[in-house]
Amino acid sequence: MSVHTIVAVGLRRGLFSRFAGRVSWRSAPVILGAVIILAAIVIAITIPWWSPYDPIALAGRRLQPPSLEHWCGTDALGRDVLVRTLYGTRYSLTIAALVLAVGVSIGTLLGAVAGFVGGLLDSAIMRLADITLSFPPILLAMAIAASLGPGLVHTAVALIIVWWPIYARLMRAQVLNVKGLDHVDAAVVSGAMPGRILFKHIVPLCWSPILVNMTMDVGQVILLASGLSFIGLGAQPPTPEWGQMIAEGAGSFYSWWIAMGPGLAIFLVSLSFNFLGDGVRDFVDPRSRVST
Amino acid sequence: MMATGNIWRRGLFSAASLMIMGASAALATAGAARAADSEIVVARAMDLNSLDPARAYCDTCQIYLSAVYDTLLTLAPDNKTIVPDLATSWEVSPDVTTFTFHLNPAATFSDGTPVTATDVQWSLERLKNIKGGAAYLMDSLKSIDIKDPHTLVITTKTPNSEFLGILSATYVGIINSKLAMAHGANDADTASTTDTADTWFLSHSAGSGAFTLQSYKADDALRLKRNASYWGKKAQVSGVIIKQTADAVTQAQMLQSGAADIAMQIDPDTAKTIHDANIVFTTVPSYNYVYAAFSPIAKGSPVPLTHDVREAMALAIDYKGAIDFTVGGAGNLQPSAIPNGFPGTADLPAPVTDVAKAKALLAKAGYPNGFKIGLEFPAMDVYGIDISLLAQKLQQDLAKINVSLVLKPETFNVWAGDIDSPGVPFTIGFFAPDYFGSAQYAQYFGMMAGMPWGKRAGVGTTPGLDGAAELATFNKALAAAGPAQEAAYKEIGLQMIADKIILPIVSPDLVLAYAKDISGMRYSACCNLPLAEIVKH
Repeated sequence: MSVHTIVAVGLRRGLFSRFAGRVSWRSAPVILGAVIILAAIVIAITIPWWSPYDPIALAGRRLQPPSLEHWCGTDALGRDVLVRTLYGTRYSLTIAALVLAVGVSIGTLLGAVAGFVGGLLDSAIMRLADITLSFPPILLAMAIAASLGPGLVHTAVALIIVWWPIYARLMRAQVLNVKGLDHVDAAVVSGAMPGRILFKHIVPLCWSPILVNMTMDVGQVILLASGLSFIGLGAQPPTPEWGQMIAEGAGSFYSWWIAMGPGLAIFLVSLSFNFLGDGVRDFVDPRSRVST
Repeated sequence: MMATGNIWRRGLFSAASLMIMGASAALATAGAARAADSEIVVARAMDLNSLDPARAYCDTCQIYLSAVYDTLLTLAPDNKTIVPDLATSWEVSPDVTTFTFHLNPAATFSDGTPVTATDVQWSLERLKNIKGGAAYLMDSLKSIDIKDPHTLVITTKTPNSEFLGILSATYVGIINSKLAMAHGANDADTASTTDTADTWFLSHSAGSGAFTLQSYKADDALRLKRNASYWGKKAQVSGVIIKQTADAVTQAQMLQSGAADIAMQIDPDTAKTIHDANIVFTTVPSYNYVYAAFSPIAKGSPVPLTHDVREAMALAIDYKGAIDFTVGGAGNLQPSAIPNGFPGTADLPAPVTDVAKAKALLAKAGYPNGFKIGLEFPAMDVYGIDISLLAQKLQQDLAKINVSLVLKPETFNVWAGDIDSPGVPFTIGFFAPDYFGSAQYAQYFGMMAGMPWGKRAGVGTTPGLDGAAELATFNKALAAAGPAQEAAYKEIGLQMIADKIILPIVSPDLVLAYAKDISGMRYSACCNLPLAEIVKH
């Protein structure tokens, strides 16, 4: 059993007891966040089976304010705002998951290779990351989405391009830390192949900050994707995507309920992921907790 | 004593009354002077493409040009009658090809130069040769002969009973030719490439209208000031600021806060939500409309857009619902591409919705299970209509016959380019009149060779669109007047309905919103909003 495996098993064994031991009133936001996220995921998966209305079909008289029949009112085309908002969970969570899965995969792979190999390859990858990071994220995403054309897939591509360098940097820094540890030297001395050293002895010990960052970034990705849709570069009508819905609501400003539903949804989901991210950070990195 | 006291009291009372009356009169005079000296602010999403009468072509251009450049003729408040402007009188030959105009000798440009027949000739020739958006108005122009400084004779290539109406279009504004030529303008055949005055016109005006240009900053404001030496009835306000205000909501808020006096792009839904005693909302029918259109020859359609397919899609559209959904019911059905109220539109059959018949027609055409087709449109608000919203409504309606619309919103410029090259099979567009007359609609929307929509629809190659009959009827309409002209345009209107290329969806009412101390507001078919008639009390 290698050193890193012992560490991993040790972590797993103490996982539940460590978490249970840390639950206190300060954990309330984390639990709340986790519950809301879980609810959002369940809604996203199951809504087609229980939704009372079609999200793109007429559900009632147009521009109705909130009522018992339509809790968040209806929009200018008579569609139920609540149903559209709940359907919007599917798009927002999917795009966040897609962007982070692909962005993290590309970023961590390049960062790990850069940190492990070093030299010219390291410089090339990191300068590319620096160039990408030197643009404000929203500006770069806008430019890419505008050149690719509107649409959710293009939005995802734009956000992946914006996001990968963050994880490349993070992973590189972790790899540089871990590759000097004794067990890595032992693996080198024992004649292990470079690929095996990197992916079996180094990378598995680098995931904690990546995990924390990913959790915190979900909210950011949702916000940015909604922002692109709001300005017309993301989801297109009649897709019930939150940013697109807020854009429609802005055009009917005095029918405030049209933008309220998706606005609250973005707020709740982003905040929940931030709460959860804080919790995950405290859990995996006890040093970051503030003593009170 | 008593009597004396009464006399004193009466004297004092009379003196006090006189003083109060005098003060009131002075205050009233001062108030009137202040009102006359006050500026008005119009909150508006400006679509200006140029301030040069020969190059400008937009709704805001109409407001600007009518305020700054007088035309030979203009449109009376009834929006139908042609009345004198720079021309005091005119004669038309029996064959409707020769038009003689007598100019008002009192008319002068804002710099004091008299308006002459030479200026008229130069302005009309230049409009034709610059080849801008409104150059089509001069398509029938053959020659202009100057008889004396205040008399000219215009000859058209073919009979044109609408030529007087054309001359009331704001784009045919008369320019001070000497002044403009001194700054790079010319009326030569090569003017489209050799005329360099476009930039000069952005900071100067050269008209004989009630206002002159004070300044223009793109995306900020267009400022006009009263022409102090105007030869006609002077403007009632000292100046006008047209303030760039992108959306209806902001326009409404500016009106409510007093930052603007007038807004005329507030949609009916927003207007309904504002309850402010200081704001007046007037809803008037307009000649503007939004339409859906087919280009059967455009590439990209998954199925041939035959007459049956076009008719099926037309029958599936819920026209009344579209009016309700886009302008809260404040609009009208429009049968043909010629707007309601224009010559030839009386008693045309209104569009109908018949989903069952639409499905049967699709099955007959070989598509019982429908198909998927793109709908490209300009993503913008026009005449209070959110075109994206209308596109979604069409998507809902056509889904009922299993025609799935893939919405493709574009910026206006991209869309305007795409409909000609490479072509768009199914689209949404909009149109506002340039003057009162049906010829402009036949010219733009008629299925005739060489006309914009005739080209897009493939006249001559698309089955059922040969163009010959419609062209013959159009020529007949141009040569006729009165009831005969109406009958010819009605024939064209019926043919347009049968062609199923242009499907008018909504003719929205226009919401004129203004502060209660404003009067003189009206919608004009040629000039949009005649600024010179507006009074601020």
